[in-house]
Amino acid sequence: MRVAVDVGGTFTDFVVYDGGKVETYKLLSTPRQPEVAVIEGLRRLRGVREILHASTIGTNALLGQVGLEPPPVALFTTEGFRDVIEIGRQNRPRLYDLYFEKPRQLVPRDMRFEVRERVGPDGTVILPVDEGQVEALAEAAAGRGAAAAALSFLHSYLNPTNEAIAAAVLRRRFEYVSASHEVSPEPREYERTSTAVVNAALMPIVGRYLRSLSGYVEGIGARLYVMSSSGGLITVDEAARRPVQLVESGPAGGVVAAAELARALSITRAVSFDMGGTTAKAGTIVGYEPSITAEYEVGGEAHYGRLVKGTGYPVRFPFIDLAEVSAGGGTIVWRDRGGALRVGPTSAGADPGPACYGRGGSVPTITDANAVLGRLPPVLGGGITLDLDAAWRAMSGLGDPVDVAWDAVRLANMEMARAVRLVTVERGLDPADFALIAFGGAGPQHAAELAEELGISRVVVPPGPGVFTALGMLMADMKFEARMSYPGDLEGGFKRLEESLAWADPTYYVRLADVRYVGQGWELMVPVGRPASLDSVRERFEERHQAAYGFRMDRPVEVVTIRVFAVSVRERPRLPDPPAEGEPRPGRRKVYFGEWIETPVYRRDELPLGYALRGPAIVEEASSTVVVPPGWRATVKNMGVLELTR
Amino acid sequence: MRWELVYRATVYIAEEAGAALRRSALSPNIRERMDHSVAVLDAEGRIVAQAEHIPVHLGSFRVGVGRLLEALEREGIELGPGDAALVNDPYIAGTHLNDVMLLSPIHWRGRIVGYVVNKAHHVDVGGPVPGSINPWARTMHEEGVVMPPLKAVEGGQVRRDLLAVWLANVRDPATALGDLNAQLAANVVGTRRIAELLERYGEEVLEAWDSAIDYGRRLSLLALAGWPRGTFEAEDHLEWGEGLLPIRVKVSVRDDGVTLDFAGSAHQVEGPLNAVFGVTYSAAAFPVRCLLGSDVPTNEGFYSVVQVAAPEGTIVNPRRPAAVSGGNLETSQRIADAVFRALAAAMPERVPAAGSGTMANIMIGGVWRDSSWSYYETVGGGTGGRPGKDGVSGVHVNMTNTMNTPIEVVELAYPLLFTRYMVREGSGGRGRWRGGDGIIRSFKALAPMRLALLADRFKVGPWGLMGGEPGSPGRAYVVRASGERVELAGKAVLDLYPGDEFVLETPGGGGWGVPHG
Repeated sequence: MRVAVDVGGTFTDFVVYDGGKVETYKLLSTPRQPEVAVIEGLRRLRGVREILHASTIGTNALLGQVGLEPPPVALFTTEGFRDVIEIGRQNRPRLYDLYFEKPRQLVPRDMRFEVRERVGPDGTVILPVDEGQVEALAEAAAGRGAAAAALSFLHSYLNPTNEAIAAAVLRRRFEYVSASHEVSPEPREYERTSTAVVNAALMPIVGRYLRSLSGYVEGIGARLYVMSSSGGLITVDEAARRPVQLVESGPAGGVVAAAELARALSITRAVSFDMGGTTAKAGTIVGYEPSITAEYEVGGEAHYGRLVKGTGYPVRFPFIDLAEVSAGGGTIVWRDRGGALRVGPTSAGADPGPACYGRGGSVPTITDANAVLGRLPPVLGGGITLDLDAAWRAMSGLGDPVDVAWDAVRLANMEMARAVRLVTVERGLDPADFALIAFGGAGPQHAAELAEELGISRVVVPPGPGVFTALGMLMADMKFEARMSYPGDLEGGFKRLEESLAWADPTYYVRLADVRYVGQGWELMVPVGRPASLDSVRERFEERHQAAYGFRMDRPVEVVTIRVFAVSVRERPRLPDPPAEGEPRPGRRKVYFGEWIETPVYRRDELPLGYALRGPAIVEEASSTVVVPPGWRATVKNMGVLELTR
Repeated sequence: MRWELVYRATVYIAEEAGAALRRSALSPNIRERMDHSVAVLDAEGRIVAQAEHIPVHLGSFRVGVGRLLEALEREGIELGPGDAALVNDPYIAGTHLNDVMLLSPIHWRGRIVGYVVNKAHHVDVGGPVPGSINPWARTMHEEGVVMPPLKAVEGGQVRRDLLAVWLANVRDPATALGDLNAQLAANVVGTRRIAELLERYGEEVLEAWDSAIDYGRRLSLLALAGWPRGTFEAEDHLEWGEGLLPIRVKVSVRDDGVTLDFAGSAHQVEGPLNAVFGVTYSAAAFPVRCLLGSDVPTNEGFYSVVQVAAPEGTIVNPRRPAAVSGGNLETSQRIADAVFRALAAAMPERVPAAGSGTMANIMIGGVWRDSSWSYYETVGGGTGGRPGKDGVSGVHVNMTNTMNTPIEVVELAYPLLFTRYMVREGSGGRGRWRGGDGIIRSFKALAPMRLALLADRFKVGPWGLMGGEPGSPGRAYVVRASGERVELAGKAVLDLYPGDEFVLETPGGGGWGVPHG
C-alpha cells in the first residue's frame, strides 16, 4: 500500500493506493508540529509500504510561522562582501511605497563573518584561505549562538577549493553547514548566497521534522520519500542535506499529476490550473513535461502573477514554473473608495472562511459569489452545510447580490486568465492551442468560463480534483539533481555529474543546460543529448530563443550551467474507469449564467463511462463542483475524467 | 457590462504588451532592468492604463504623448491602420535621447478610438560616448541622434530609409534593431488585444475608459482630502562645478488638485543636468503619487490632479538644444526631493527624510584583449528615516529602481577585480528614526581604462527632518597603485591604470526626528 500525504495550511490530505482503487481522506493540519496530523492519519491504515510526502514546513518556517522560527544562522563570506546578502539586487520591492521593508534578514549583520580569501574570475586562487582564521570566526559565531552555518565565497562555483576547506573547518563545530557550491554552484553571488543561507536556515527544522517522521515510518516497516519542488521524489537524506528543494513541493504534485494525465490522454499541450482557497496557479505542460524554472523567490510577492525580484528570498534550484494570482475560493470581494468592485488580494482564510460556510464569516468571497449564482451544492466538502442566506447577505452589502456575484466571478476569471497568459505568452505559445486541466477545490467551478476567456475549447477535470495534488505524488518518479557551472568539456562535465548521482541507480539521466548568447544577462534551459555537443546545444538553444523571443542572433553562445536529473521510474497507479452502465438521475435548480436558467444537477459518481451531457449543467462530487456553462458539452472518459468541450 | 471588467482587461493588455516588449527585446537593459513602459490611451491621448516599471516614465508619457500628437497634427502626419510614429527628441518625448517612444493608433469602424504607446531605453543612440550619456555634453547634439516625430512604420512595415539612417548612427545596430522590433511587437500585441475587446464589447469599451479615468480622479481626490490645504515651499540643490544649483518648488494643495510651481529654480546649464519638462512632471508627480497611497491607478484620472509649472530656460524646463541626459538621472532625484521637502512642511508626520538622492552613475570603458568594452552601473544608497521606522540601507531611491550587475558577472566580462561591496555603516543620519546607510562599492583596475562618474550629494548630505541629522555625503576616491590617494568630485572623469583602486561611498539617508540621548 502506498500513501501520499500533502500537508497544507488547513488540511492534511491523504491519498491511499493499494494496487486497485484510490481512496482519499482529510484531517485538520497541526501547523506547529505537522507530523502529528500525518502520523494520526497513518495510524488508520494497515500494511503501508511507502509514504510519499509534500510539506510546506520550509516555506512556513521562512515566513516566520509561530513555532517554526528558523534558528540563528551565521554567514561566512569573502572579505569585503558580507553585506551582499543584505543589499541584494539593490532594487526596492514596490515603486511607490515609502514605508517598504526588505524581507526580514535571515542573517543579521553581527552574524556575518568575513574570511580573508579570494578566487578570481578564471578560477585561480588569488588568496588561499587561512584555516586558523576560519576556526577563530567559527568560535565567535558559536559564541553568538549560531546553530547553523552558511558560507559563500566569490567564484566558488568555478573553483570551490577555498570554500570546501572552510566548510570542513566549520563542520568540526557546527552540525548544519551549507556551502554555496554544494547547494547552488552557479554564478551571481547574491542568489547563490541566498540559496546557501535559506538552506542553512532550513536544515535544522526540516532535519528535525523528517527525523521525527521517518522514526515513525520505519517503526511501521515502511519507507518515506519526499516531494521536491522540481516534481520528483527524493530520499529523506537528500531532503535533509538540501532542504531548499522542499520549498513549494506541494503545488509541484498537482502539475506532475496533470502531466501524467496529459500523457494518458495524449494531450501534448496542457495548462495545469489549480485553484484552491487562497490562490490560483497555472503552469504549462508541453510534450508531457512540466516547464521548469531555475529560480524562485520564497515568500515573494507577485505582480500580475509573476514574483517581483526583491520581495522574498531567492533560491536557485529547479522549480516547476507556476504563475500565481490571488484568486481562490476564499478571496475577498470588495468595493474600494473610488467605488470600483475588486477581487483580492486578501483572503478570508480558512477561519472563519467564506460567509456561506456559516462559521461567522460575513465578508463576501468568491465562494459566496458562486453560492449566490446557484453553483454550489447544499452540502460542501468536509460536511459543511451551505448557508445561502449568509452568502446573499454578505454580497448585498456591495450592491445587487446577483450582479455583484456575477461581476466578481468574471473579474476573478480575468485575473486567472492573466496568469495563464503569462505562462504561455512569455514562452511564445498561444493559450488557445492548449487544453486546460482543472483541479483544486475551486478549479472546476471556474474552468470552462476561464477557458472561454482564453479562447481554449477543451477542459479536462480529473476525478477527485480536490485531492489531485496529493495524487500527483503517487505518479511521480524519483529524481535527484546535480549541476555545475562553466564545465569546459561539455560531455566530460555531464559524465562527472552522472557519476556523482550513480548511487541512486537511476533508470535514466536527463541532461539540461542553461545557455545564453555571450553578453546576455539571462539563460534559457535546453535539453542536451548524448554525447553532448556544443553544436547541438546551440541548435536547441536557438530554436528555443526563436520561440520565446522571436529572433536569433549572429553571436556565439555559452553554456553557463549544466544540470543532470537522475530519474528512477516508478509504477504509476492506474485510475479506475467509471462503470459502463448507469442512468443518472439529475436534480434541478436555478443557476445564473448571465440569466437564471433551470439547470440539471448531476452526481459525478452516477455518470457512466461515455456519458455525454450538454451545458448548462452542474456536476457535483465530494471534493469539488464542475460548472458546465451553456454552449459546452461534457463527456465521461476513461479513468473517470470529465472532458468539457465547446 | 461593468466598466471595471473593461478597465481590468485594459490594464492587463498594457501588461501583456509590456511582456511582449521585454520578451523580444535584445538588450538586458530592457529585459533585466525593465527600463520600459507601455500605456493604452483614448482617442484624445489620455492615459487609460499604464504598465510601468520605472518611476521616471510615470508622468513623462503624459507630457510626451500630448506633445507627440500635437506635433503629428502640426506636420499633417496621419496614422492609418498598421502605422506607428516614432520619436526620441527629448523636448517632445519627454525624457532623454535613449528613450525611444513608439505610438500606434487603434482603428475601429473607420476611426481612431485610441492608441498604444511604449517607451524603451536604448543602450546606445549614437553620439561621442558609448551609451550616449555624455558627461561633457553642452547640447543634446553631443549626446546622440535626434529623431523628430516620424511615421516610422507604415502598414506594419518599418520604413527602410528611416531605419537605415537610424542604424547608421548607433554603435550596436543589431541591438537597436532588435529593441525597435520588440517595441513594434508590443504595439502589435496591444492594438490587437484592444481590437478584440472592442469586437466583444463594442462602444461600451470607450465609455468604460471614461469611467476608469473618472475613477482614477475620484480616488486621487479622496486621498487628497486628507491633506492640509495651503501653499508649501522648499528648496534643494544639485552640485555643479564649484557651486550649487537651486531647485525651488511651491506646492499648492487645493480641493481639486495639487499645483507644483518651480519658479526660481536655476537657469539651464551647459551640461547634461537639464531636465526636460517631461522629467520634471514625472519627478514632481512621484512624491504626490507616493503619498496618495498605493491604490491610485496610474491613469489620466491621477495625472489630472497634478499640475506642474516650470519656467522655460531653467534646469527644470530647458530650451533646446540644452543637453539633457543627466536630467533623468540626477536632476529628477532632486526635483522629487524638493517636492518631498515641501510636502513635509504640510504633513510632517507622513513624509520621510531625504534618501541618498543620487543614482551614482559609473561609466567605464577601454580597450582590453583587443576589443573595446564599456560598463555602466548605478549604485543605490540609504533611504531617509521615516516617521515610525528607520530608513532602509543599500537600495535605489525615488526615480530609479534598476538592479545591480552581479560582481561575478562583471568580473567575468571586464578587467575589474572588486574589493568591497558592503553597507556603509554609520552613513545614515542620526534621528529618532535613523536614515538608511549608503553603499561602499570598490574595485581594482586590471587594465588601463577611463572612468566617468556622475553622482550628487557629495558636498551636502541628504537632509534630515524634524530634528533628524543629515546623512553622510557621498564620496569617491582613487588609490593609485603607488599608494597615492586622489579625492574625486561627484562629477569626474579620469584614467585608471592596472593596480589603481576606485572606491565609491554613496550617501546615507537623513534622520527623522530628534535623536535619543
